[in-house]
Amino acid sequence: MKIKSKILAGFMLLIFMLLIAGAMSIYEFSRIGNSVKALIDNNYKTIEASKTMIEALEREDSGILLLISGQWKKGRTILESADSSFIAAFEKAQNNLTEENEEDHINQIREVYASYKAKWELPIVGTYKENSMEWYLNEVHDNFLQVKIEVEDLMTLNQESMYKEASALKQQSHRALMPGIIAIVSALVFLILFNFFIRRIFVRPIQKITESVKNFHQSSEGLKSDITYHDEFEVLENEIQQLIQRLRIKNEN
Amino acid sequence: MRTEIVIRHIGLVLIFNAIFLFISFLISLFLAESSAASLLYSALVALVFGLFPLIYVKSSDYLTILEGTSIVVFGWLTTCLVGSLPYILWGGEFSVIDAWFESVSGFTTTGSTIINDIEALPKGLLFWRSATHWLGGIGIILFTILILPGSNTSKLVLLNTEMSPLAKTNFKYRAVEILRILIYVYLGLTVLETVLLKVAGMSFFDAVNHSFATIATGGFSTKNLSIASYNSISIEVIIMIFMVLSGVHFGLTFNTITGNKKNLFKSSIFKAYISFLFIGIVLVALKLYLNGMYSWWDSVRYASFQVISLGTTTGFATVDTAHWPSFTIIVLIYFTIQCAMIGSTSGGLKFDRIFIFFKSILKQIKSIQHPRAVLSLKIDGNPINEKTELHTMIFIILYLGIILITTLLLTFLNIDTLTAFSGSAATIGNVGPGFAHVSSLGNYSDLPNLGKLILSINMILGRLEIFGIISLLFIKSWK
Repeated sequence: MKIKSKILAGFMLLIFMLLIAGAMSIYEFSRIGNSVKALIDNNYKTIEASKTMIEALEREDSGILLLISGQWKKGRTILESADSSFIAAFEKAQNNLTEENEEDHINQIREVYASYKAKWELPIVGTYKENSMEWYLNEVHDNFLQVKIEVEDLMTLNQESMYKEASALKQQSHRALMPGIIAIVSALVFLILFNFFIRRIFVRPIQKITESVKNFHQSSEGLKSDITYHDEFEVLENEIQQLIQRLRIKNEN
Repeated sequence: MRTEIVIRHIGLVLIFNAIFLFISFLISLFLAESSAASLLYSALVALVFGLFPLIYVKSSDYLTILEGTSIVVFGWLTTCLVGSLPYILWGGEFSVIDAWFESVSGFTTTGSTIINDIEALPKGLLFWRSATHWLGGIGIILFTILILPGSNTSKLVLLNTEMSPLAKTNFKYRAVEILRILIYVYLGLTVLETVLLKVAGMSFFDAVNHSFATIATGGFSTKNLSIASYNSISIEVIIMIFMVLSGVHFGLTFNTITGNKKNLFKSSIFKAYISFLFIGIVLVALKLYLNGMYSWWDSVRYASFQVISLGTTTGFATVDTAHWPSFTIIVLIYFTIQCAMIGSTSGGLKFDRIFIFFKSILKQIKSIQHPRAVLSLKIDGNPINEKTELHTMIFIILYLGIILITTLLLTFLNIDTLTAFSGSAATIGNVGPGFAHVSSLGNYSDLPNLGKLILSINMILGRLEIFGIISLLFIKSWK
């Protein structure tokens, strides 16, 4: 192999290794990007919707208590507004089913919320329910707690999944970073080896040829440099040998 | 010393590693696992560093002993370093130190692990873990010199450096022939055990991995509970048989199969080795039964497996020995120190040296009784010269000295005495599990990083028979 090819091959191997490390890092970083997007799309939206639903439920509970205390207008206004925000949030969660068993939770929420809503949709002010904490505690409050628990379960499911995804993200960032670090360390080792080979394979033959030319001058013996490689150095040595031969013939003539 | 020639040979070893890393990558790729990229990149790094010296350095027809020793020692160290790359890249439970420990433990066929949840590892990585055992079992340098081109003179120097001189006493062949025999027996036993384990009910993947670990006397399992997770007598019996076969001299196994007169049944060392194992099993089983820990049948079952597992330096487990009576622990620690026969895939002290040690004691007694008698030590009619006898004694003292020093170092790191002592003995003996915190179903993950580094040095010393590494430290005396 010629010197040019040897140097080129060495550099090609280094470039190849760095390119692969770069490609791996890019691939892992793009996966991190996709995972972050998935994290937001899959879980964060549902967690936010669950929070909205819980907040709406709390407001509905206040609205019911206002109705019991006889404040019809204020109570109904709060209930209608809270109901519409609950339904909007519920629809968001319903359209974002990404986890196993998430659909069961949604169906459960729909069912218990319908039962809860049936309790406060009917007139309260001016009926036996007005000022009746007994009615509230016996018939409404349990329903309220049931819906709240179901929504919280939905939120926990998504939070746990989000935690798992975040842990996986940590692994992915490790996998994106490590090829780069290993490529840097490997490149350093590679360069040390490269330097070693250049000294041994390229510099040493030059020194040998120089030394043998010097020896030839001093002792007038044949040129011997002990070069064992079949590259340009061998050609150079042969050329010097021929030059010496030609000069010798010329001098003799 | 021609450093470039040493680097060239290490490069060849790395190419060999790259092939197995690539096979592991293919498994990961096929199963769409998260370790695929880590394995591929590790294979490429190994390949690049393997090919690089080949571009610049021509092969050489001869090697000096210093070059041979350097190739073997640095070849093993480089192999362990490259072997840790997939673990480092993949992450999970692996820190850099842990990855190094796992890789050294794999290649030296020790089988000590730092992984708490082995079953959570991707299968590609599990295969690589077992492959390190298999490659290390027979010595990756031997694999490389047999398969890759090179002159017979170079091969002889490498064989002499990699293999214990005592191991060659049962081979009456040329260097290349010895290598062929080793590989034939190694491959044959691996294939046979894989088939038998598959028939006994293991999945093909598990059968291959456990065969790699058994034949190499390694001990890495693909299950958190090691062999205990299968709870199958047939699997245990198959593994016990192959552990014993892997713990005896491969040349003798080859001679037995080919009908040669100098076979296992004619070897006094083999007979003594089997007798020691048998006595160990009886003692442990009896104690377990008398302490009321298990029924008689279970006592025999667990004692057989554990004694054979430690006595062959494999390290598989069917039960947690951490809570066994002190007597059984002492018996098992003896087997951890004794190790298996020379010429097998096991590391550590080796039974042959214990045998020579006992014969030497008898010789000393006779020489006291008959001061004028000229006594020579013989094994199966072959005289053991004074030099070998002296070398064996020095080796045993050095070996026990290293166990003592590493135990001291570990106790300095606040590790309890039993963990430190059994861990030191188990790592230098390339056995794997120790007792207390590092027992048969435990692992080395809780040890401090410095402790893991000390034990990984132990594993390499045990694998390379101590003198190889130590001789490189006295570079001036080579001149």
